[in-house]
Amino acid sequence: MELVLGFIFSFLSTLGFGVITNVPRRVLIPAGITGAFGWTVYLLTEPLTTSIILPNLLAALIIGLLGNINAVFIKVPVNLIYIPCLVSLVPGVVIYASLKDFTLGYYNAAGHNLIKTLTVALALDLGFAIAESLFKKCRHIISKNRIKRKGNL
Amino acid sequence: MAQKNTNDIIEVCGKIAKILLENGAETTRVESTVEYIGRAAGIQLKCHATMTAIFVNVKNAAGSLTHLEKPRVSSFNLQKVDEINTLSREFSSHKIEFDQLQSRVEAIDHQVIDFSWPQKILSAGLVSVAPMLLFKASWKDLLFAFFIGILGYLASQLAGRHSATPFLGAITGGLVISLIATSLKQAGIADSSSNIVISALMPLVPGVPLTNSLREIIERDIISGLVRGMDALMIAGSIGIGAIVGTFLANLLIGVL
Repeated sequence: MELVLGFIFSFLSTLGFGVITNVPRRVLIPAGITGAFGWTVYLLTEPLTTSIILPNLLAALIIGLLGNINAVFIKVPVNLIYIPCLVSLVPGVVIYASLKDFTLGYYNAAGHNLIKTLTVALALDLGFAIAESLFKKCRHIISKNRIKRKGNL
Repeated sequence: MAQKNTNDIIEVCGKIAKILLENGAETTRVESTVEYIGRAAGIQLKCHATMTAIFVNVKNAAGSLTHLEKPRVSSFNLQKVDEINTLSREFSSHKIEFDQLQSRVEAIDHQVIDFSWPQKILSAGLVSVAPMLLFKASWKDLLFAFFIGILGYLASQLAGRHSATPFLGAITGGLVISLIATSLKQAGIADSSSNIVISALMPLVPGVPLTNSLREIIERDIISGLVRGMDALMIAGSIGIGAIVGTFLANLLIGVL
């Protein structure tokens, strides 16, 4: 139940952020599904570990792989899929909390959250880096299949 | 004649790089797109792009020509990135001529490609229901967050549009959201003001720019990464200040009433 609701709401969230950042219309649905799968992976892995790195890294890995595949099929730069998909994972609220604590003079909490922000962002970026290098290895398989299918048609 | 042609090409390339960079493409992609277009147009050009300056340079028999553009950090419009990308693909596969490329880049630069306001308002509401808080906050609070998020998004857009001060939009957004959320909590309607604030701030917080900036740093585009990252940090700080002032005002108002 939690997974289903999480899937639906992260789909809506990704869709919404896509509209706010003006992605092309044909990107909206694939990006929404990619983002929802990423969030589901995050939900699945989060209870298994105490670290915040692993869930974020795996979620980014899934988004990276699905995003790259989608980008080939709908012909857009892959960044256009990443940006809306990231909205539920990124440490935006943590960095806000950190800077708020900083303004209020709670320097310990501020530093703690700032480092958490950097950790999460790095984990996400590493996930993307791994996904992209994996995808580069498999890219020719996907494009070969597409050419074959077009040839058959 | 050849001279004028080269001038035109590097000017168009500079404009393309500026549009791409300001609307959310990564620095490496910007540089490679421009060099690609140059090659398709038949000249060997070099492009150096950072968030503060873009240089497009070409060396030929007549000497060395450089074109300079000044990009600004601004909010994303990914539709423009996509259109430029399509255009550069069409140009390099020789489907369109250089004159067409020139006029269409000009058109993309000036035209406002946007979703309609009702669509944007609904989306801001959807983003404001954070999946992170789905089972931590009460459903009532999430419903409030939907509407307060819309108000905060509208307030920050309005303030950003009508003022030249950078970051004023972020401050206003934070202020409106925390003012309403704290008032609702103080009036005994909502369950937790901090849950509402966190959820409703989702469309405003600079999480995505921050993650992008780290990605640029990983790719060794350190200047662009730092500029984007610092901008994200300033936006987060502005929202934080706005939120603190909002809470303070709400408490003050309740005290007076």
